[in-house]
Amino acid sequence: MTFLRSQLKNNRFLMIVILAYVAVGIFAPNKFLPSLGNTWYYVKEMLMIMPVILLLTSLISAWVPKETIENAFGKNSGLKGSLFAFLLGSFSAGPIYAAFPVCKMLLSKGASIANIVIILSTWAVIKIPMLITESKFLGPEFMLVRWILTTLAIFLMGYITSRFVKSADLPADDEAAAALDGPLAVNTDYCLGCGLCAKIAPSHFKMVDKKAAVISQTLSPGDGLAIKDAVAKCPAQIIRFYC
Amino acid sequence: MDVFTLIFWVITLVWLGFSLKKDKDKTLKAIKMSGGMMKGIAGDILGILLLIGLLLTFVPPETIKATIGQANEVVSTVLFALLGSITLIPAFVAFPLVASLVDAGASIVPVVAFLTTLTMVGVVTFPLEKREFGLKFTLIRNSLSFAFALVIALAMGVIL
Repeated sequence: MTFLRSQLKNNRFLMIVILAYVAVGIFAPNKFLPSLGNTWYYVKEMLMIMPVILLLTSLISAWVPKETIENAFGKNSGLKGSLFAFLLGSFSAGPIYAAFPVCKMLLSKGASIANIVIILSTWAVIKIPMLITESKFLGPEFMLVRWILTTLAIFLMGYITSRFVKSADLPADDEAAAALDGPLAVNTDYCLGCGLCAKIAPSHFKMVDKKAAVISQTLSPGDGLAIKDAVAKCPAQIIRFYC
Repeated sequence: MDVFTLIFWVITLVWLGFSLKKDKDKTLKAIKMSGGMMKGIAGDILGILLLIGLLLTFVPPETIKATIGQANEVVSTVLFALLGSITLIPAFVAFPLVASLVDAGASIVPVVAFLTTLTMVGVVTFPLEKREFGLKFTLIRNSLSFAFALVIALAMGVIL
């Protein structure tokens, strides 16, 4: 019963749509099958593309050397830094807010405002897995033209923003204040719900309502390794471990 | 399957082969992670696809064409850009939705504006962004993104 309830809660949108279908089945039965038929066409298209997106996202997260790219940022990294910013955004997964903690970390490493705008925007609109889906549904030509125009716009936006916003305008890091109740903290606002931390260090993390939660702050000898692994593997980099 | 999708399949499978050979454990872990994320949005994707089916059945293509095809393009583009700014759905799910509109005869200009603001402008995530980067940065980035979304959309209309 609790399982059912959590499923209902997690898929509220799907449930509403299913209820709409039930209503259609009762009040306009002749529209029921055509609606399912229309859906089926898009389901087929989606199934053709989903496994590729899934695999590609995994391969990117496993093999693209994010640390190397991230270390290439710096105040005076110039055009090279911008290019890396563009690449980092292109080879990423997850919605734009997943990029916030990553960008925050890069800012503390000395990344420029322009490059942060470039990462955020690239991450949002033209990352590789998204381009594949776009080309599938709207055609390669559409995707390519939009990619070129958006890329130009992104570099312009980075430049314009850096003219108006200076590093002093950004809020200071408040990380130290956040770590009060123990060595472990998870910034759940940005959790993508992948469940990796709970798999790697099940004695310290658990998935609650699709979000990671810290269940134990006590460290036994040997726990450190698993926790560090979880910190490193977290795609949104939201686990803080002070020891 | 079209050529483009096929190319992506081939590239991905070849890369997967190499990856498995080089580090099986790492590869499988990564796939599990993306799988977890994908499971999280699977319900939403199915919901949107079912909704598209309903929309296409109840709103005939002629009506879609008449409303977003022949209506004032500038007005509909700004409206779609606004709509994109306040919605927060994965782009993933947005593409089939948008494609169904285009297939039904909607003009691509408002559609592109929607796609761009959907992902780049975040009204819902504004408080989060403000907390991380400050009001000035967030305001300027989102306004610029909105403006450029319109420019990109109009340019697409001219080119395609």
